[in-house]
Amino acid sequence: MNAKIALFVVLSCETFFFGTVLSAYFYLRTTVLGWPLVHPPVSQIMIPIANTLLLLLSAGPMAWVGKAIDQKKIRLAQVWLAVVLGMGLLFIGGQIFEFVRSGMSPSDQAFGGVFFTLMGFHALHILAGMIMLVILVVRTHLHDFKFRRHIAVDVGAWFWYYVIGVWVVLFTALYLM
Amino acid sequence: MTTRSETIPLVAPKRRSLFLDWLLTIDHKKIGILYIITAAFFFMVGGFEAMAIRLQLAQPNGTLLNPDLYNQIFTMHGTTMIFLAVMPLSVGFTNYFVPLLIGAHDVAFPRLNALSYWLFLFSGIFMYSSFIAGGAPNDGWFSYAPLTEKAFSITAGMDFWALGILLLGLGTTLGSINFIVTIIQMRAPGMSFSRMPMFVWTVFVTALISIFAFPSLISAVVMLLLDRQLGTHFFNVSSNGSALLWQNLFWFFGHPEVYILILPAMGIISEVIPVFSRKPLFGFMTVAYSTMAIGVLAFGVWAHHMFTTGLPSAALIIFSADSFLIGVPTGVKVFSWIGTMWGGKVRFSTPVLFAMGFIGMFVIGGLSGIQLAIIPIDWQVEDSYYVVAHLHYVLFGGSLFALVAGLYYWFPKITGKRLSETLGKWHFWLMLIGMNMTFLPMHILGLDGMPRRIYTYPTDTGWGPLNMIETVGGFVVAVSFLVLLVNFIKTMRSPATHEADPWDGFTLEWKTSSPPPVYNFETIPVVRSRRPLWDEKHPDLADWKQKS
Repeated sequence: MNAKIALFVVLSCETFFFGTVLSAYFYLRTTVLGWPLVHPPVSQIMIPIANTLLLLLSAGPMAWVGKAIDQKKIRLAQVWLAVVLGMGLLFIGGQIFEFVRSGMSPSDQAFGGVFFTLMGFHALHILAGMIMLVILVVRTHLHDFKFRRHIAVDVGAWFWYYVIGVWVVLFTALYLM
Repeated sequence: MTTRSETIPLVAPKRRSLFLDWLLTIDHKKIGILYIITAAFFFMVGGFEAMAIRLQLAQPNGTLLNPDLYNQIFTMHGTTMIFLAVMPLSVGFTNYFVPLLIGAHDVAFPRLNALSYWLFLFSGIFMYSSFIAGGAPNDGWFSYAPLTEKAFSITAGMDFWALGILLLGLGTTLGSINFIVTIIQMRAPGMSFSRMPMFVWTVFVTALISIFAFPSLISAVVMLLLDRQLGTHFFNVSSNGSALLWQNLFWFFGHPEVYILILPAMGIISEVIPVFSRKPLFGFMTVAYSTMAIGVLAFGVWAHHMFTTGLPSAALIIFSADSFLIGVPTGVKVFSWIGTMWGGKVRFSTPVLFAMGFIGMFVIGGLSGIQLAIIPIDWQVEDSYYVVAHLHYVLFGGSLFALVAGLYYWFPKITGKRLSETLGKWHFWLMLIGMNMTFLPMHILGLDGMPRRIYTYPTDTGWGPLNMIETVGGFVVAVSFLVLLVNFIKTMRSPATHEADPWDGFTLEWKTSSPPPVYNFETIPVVRSRRPLWDEKHPDLADWKQKS
């Protein structure tokens, strides 16, 4: 229970962090003259759209990890963890590809800075989630988790859903609005 | 007396050297002591910086410090006193006393607690190492952009500041998470929120404020670092950035920070005054609600630091009104303390003297704060010594008086020895007189137009005599802290009396021995009212038997 309350507080704090950077984005966009950007046509953002779908789909296997442990299928739980891990890797790969392809840099006007700060911090959260997934794989291997006794898995899953949610908000703000 | 039959097994501690024992400790009491000692050290450093500032300004055309060094000194004075002295001092008391006050054995995450402390210590050392690395930060404690950009601040000082604040913010956030979980989860049986001591209430609200305010500061310093190191343009107006963005982000943290500094102090006052007046806190739940109201309103006043930046008039009105509004719950607290003392049998021991000093000084600072919320007055005195006077009355006269009250009040619990009352009274009167000599004339100088942060001023301004009085006052304050130091050394060399309950207290920390054992309580007490120890000592007059 302590861990769950702590996670809830951490995520509130994270929300305020992303919230302030996102407010900075909207502040610059609305108050600064000559903001460079209208949102790009859909044909140019196929990779971010694919990445969005990828992350949303990864919520499924993440949710099935706990279920598999409850059914004493440790091997299956590890498979699901590996699937989520793979999807995370694909997402990061897609992001790097997209950043290189776009040819933008953090020092391109204020927009480049705020765009890469938001994207960069989100990517760091995905990486943190992936480190956590690796730890969960090791701990399932050590048989740390039992029927309904897998709080680390639950906490990890919530963190993962949260990072997915943040992506949906960022994607909407930066690509669609 | 009812106690839960749960006893705690004694675990024989592994023998370690004294150094390793403190280095590796995860005991909340030892971490609390480390916080208090480290904060006291940084307070001393910040005090020396204040003395340097006062010596420089004592006379017109001062030559002690050159302008560049003066900028570094006042920046580090502000940064030190806020982030490295007052905040960690109240975190020290929080660490030591929250588990004792709620009847717990430790905090929820003891290792995380140790991490918070070490992050604080290293962020302080890191920021100060800038002095030998080419120059300390020199743009004031609120580091306004674009002065902090690489083009205008060429030394690495700002990078040290930003990284130091980042580390410190991380430590504070982790600490806040820890105490929120501790207070929600680890209260003794029977201690509902409405029976929780007021200091714990204020710590809880302070931790919540930190959780919501620090992300704004952290994102601001991240942007500053990116601007300086990666060439982004957050605060660079010529590349579509905005200098006002920094002010918005900083003050969205910066004003709640003021309440992070004052709320635990108010909590200490709410513990000290009832015990020394022999009455429960007057209007307990009203004080708790007003604490929460302050916590909420604190997030809607940040732009009153920006009245002169050309905000639209609708924004001016809203932020001005909210700044007035936050005076209401603050006033409620002041009346509650007066109401507690009213008709009580007040013992004028040192802790209560400092508590009364707190009320007086804080009210003066609060009233000048209300004046600054009036937009035309703010336009006149913005960035003058009037603001400096105001902030020192609430932070020095407010927070620090309360923390010193807490030190005299809780010292016997931490060490098993009482500080000398005679020297304590000397400390109080010298500090009260010294602080008013230092900061009262600043109101007049501010109204007379003396800007803050100037390194000197010409003779024909006529500001010399009042500045000289301030400097003398500053040294009186320094002497008062020397008296505290003498008192401390003298007391530590005297034999311990180990009184468990020297003040005839009301709350659980006085139930256990002085100093408390590692496990705090042999049996976890059951709480039936707001004054569990009073109930235990006076079974016939127990609070829970009285009709409320």
